[in-house]
Amino acid sequence: MTGRSFNWTHLVACLLVGVTAVLLSFGALVTTYEAAMAVPDWPGTYGHNLLLYPWADWLQGPWDLFLEHGHRLLGALAGMVTLVLAAVAWRSSARPMVKWLAMAAVALVVVQGALGGARVLLDDKTVAKVHACTGPLFFAVAVAIACLSRRSSEQGTRLSRLPVALVVASYLQLVAGAQLRHLDAAVSPSVFRGLVGLHILGAFAVTVFAVASASSVGIDGSLSSRRWSRGIVALVVLQLLLGLGAWVVSWGMPAGLVPESWLSEPLRARSVWSAMVVTGHVVLGMLILASSVVLAIDAGGWRAVTSASAAGSSSQSRAFA
Amino acid sequence: MRQSSPSHRFVAAIIAIVTVAAVGCGKTPPASFRLNMVQATKATVPESGLEKPWASWSRERQQQVATILEAMFGTPDEPVALPETGLDLAKLQLAAGPVRSDIVGRKNGLYREHCAHCHGISGDGMGPTAAFLNPYPRDYRQGKFKFKSTWRDAKPTHDDLVRLLHEGVIGTSMPSFALLPPAQVDALAEYVKYLSMRGEAEIALFTYAEQELGADEALPTTKEFLVDEVLTPIAEKWQGAADARIPVAAIPAGVDFNLPGNDLANRDSVARGKALFLGDGGCVKCHGVTALGDGQANDYDDWNKAIVAVSAEVAVGLLSSKEAATGGMSSDALADHRARSAWLDSFAHVLEGDALRPRTIPPRNLRIGHYRGGRRPIDLYRRLYTGINGAPMPGVGPSGPGGKGSVADEEIWHLVNYIRSLPYEMDGELGADRPMVAKDRF
Repeated sequence: MTGRSFNWTHLVACLLVGVTAVLLSFGALVTTYEAAMAVPDWPGTYGHNLLLYPWADWLQGPWDLFLEHGHRLLGALAGMVTLVLAAVAWRSSARPMVKWLAMAAVALVVVQGALGGARVLLDDKTVAKVHACTGPLFFAVAVAIACLSRRSSEQGTRLSRLPVALVVASYLQLVAGAQLRHLDAAVSPSVFRGLVGLHILGAFAVTVFAVASASSVGIDGSLSSRRWSRGIVALVVLQLLLGLGAWVVSWGMPAGLVPESWLSEPLRARSVWSAMVVTGHVVLGMLILASSVVLAIDAGGWRAVTSASAAGSSSQSRAFA
Repeated sequence: MRQSSPSHRFVAAIIAIVTVAAVGCGKTPPASFRLNMVQATKATVPESGLEKPWASWSRERQQQVATILEAMFGTPDEPVALPETGLDLAKLQLAAGPVRSDIVGRKNGLYREHCAHCHGISGDGMGPTAAFLNPYPRDYRQGKFKFKSTWRDAKPTHDDLVRLLHEGVIGTSMPSFALLPPAQVDALAEYVKYLSMRGEAEIALFTYAEQELGADEALPTTKEFLVDEVLTPIAEKWQGAADARIPVAAIPAGVDFNLPGNDLANRDSVARGKALFLGDGGCVKCHGVTALGDGQANDYDDWNKAIVAVSAEVAVGLLSSKEAATGGMSSDALADHRARSAWLDSFAHVLEGDALRPRTIPPRNLRIGHYRGGRRPIDLYRRLYTGINGAPMPGVGPSGPGGKGSVADEEIWHLVNYIRSLPYEMDGELGADRPMVAKDRF
């Protein structure tokens, strides 16, 4: 990035973050409504080129088709934006890390698109799980590019340990969630019990790291880091409630949690409310991951600047504080 | 619809294989029905003088039953409906297989989308989520259903199943599928019947093998045996369900179900119902004098009872097997002892992996106003008349056509009226002169 020229890399990266957020939300809805096989061919849609499928048929067609084809269109858009980002980043004077992350994003988006295709052509749940794990990874990379391309290269690329741990825990929690969401109905109750236990353990870890990060940056962090960290804690609290809500709308209130007399109606399969709660839980998980990436970079950058100032020397770049 | 080209499939397959290898897990295997291992193990008791190793003989018999069942009922992806079953193959195909939908939004794989996570692919009530749910999801394989309009031991009608799917079961994890198109609910009901018939046929085969065959004898595979002896009796019960509806007495004068349960206009009927509740109805034994469900609460339903019984049998057998003195045994007796010990060990493992930990079934707290089989007066009438099949709840009506119940048919409506009034009744009104130990539970 040149000092005075317009920061195109940052602009395109922000656009990619926005597109990816919508793309992942569509993907989460596809899983919630089990609409992945609403379009049996790939890369086309019912014999049409993906981009040339009639818009009216898509918008006025069945809900499952709307979700699946919409997810594919957004995927194509995300792919194109990623290519533009890579080109812009490579041609600009962005820091090397941004350039390499942009290249990684290209690789990830290609793999992710192919995984989406394989999921459909093979109709395989294992591929679906991998597809669901790669999506948030791509999102995290896009957010990292957006953050790193915003700053001048003099600010360094330090990362704070606790927020990095939060990033890792948030991502692994999404991985565990993907195993539950794409559960094969043939697995035994003990496997499911193990996965639920893992997911609850993950929730505990994310909560601990979120609170620890907030208290850490609350002591020596910048104003923006403090805001991000508090925001993440709030999101985690909301996420815990949504997690409980996702269980309740799927399988009812856990026995003994509330008196039965409080429940007035049976559960309703396929209600919009339950779909929103379950999908919201996934989307919020991705937002927590994205926010953690921002915090890790922001807090690390601040520490780099402050430590550089304290030393009275020019900034330096290190991988981890 | 254009099919994807081979090159696309090839690229997709390569990527999938590489990815799957990278994450260390394999492709999801095609769905298959699981054998009823509790029945299978029960049916392969090692016999004295068995020449083959017990485990291999047991596997052969299981394989034979699995092969027969596949021929009669197909697979989870490709169901078969023999004409004798009376099942509609088109509906089964809508419900079976993996989840997918077509260009007009018609969805297949409904059972796997909506039911299999709890009820299991085989309808054994052992889906992944089952252990967390209370009550456990229904195991269809015994052909017993609780909430229906037919005699206690009769099968439910198709409409009974559709209604239950439509309404859901309040207070449990069974949701209402009222938001699904009626054709989908209809297909699901048909598939439940299919799984139930398959499960009953499986039990019949293992029971026949246990009772009629020696260790080296194979099950007959003739049409006479498989269709006429095994399948037809099961299918006839299902087909005859519509004729097995219980009679419904006329509602007596002075009973108005359009009014709330506590309306004064129903006072006399409610008082009559209360007397029946405390007296001839025998309700207090389990529901308690307070109707809080604080009577006898240590009973099991039939599904759990079977596991409790067999677990106890296995535990006792294992204990005596371990304590047996093998020193003075002849070589034949020692071989028998070893085969039996292996069988008991295997049974213990099967019970651990293929059966859920038994749970008691608490009587309902009637003051909550939640009725799992439906809240309409007719639903309560049917529950009272026949009781609940598979559960300890007995009926107050006759046990079969021409029989006599503990409460006259038209009197049951008063009992219904009283039960409907219970959520409105003050705690102290009923049995105020008796101890109310579980009052704080409400």
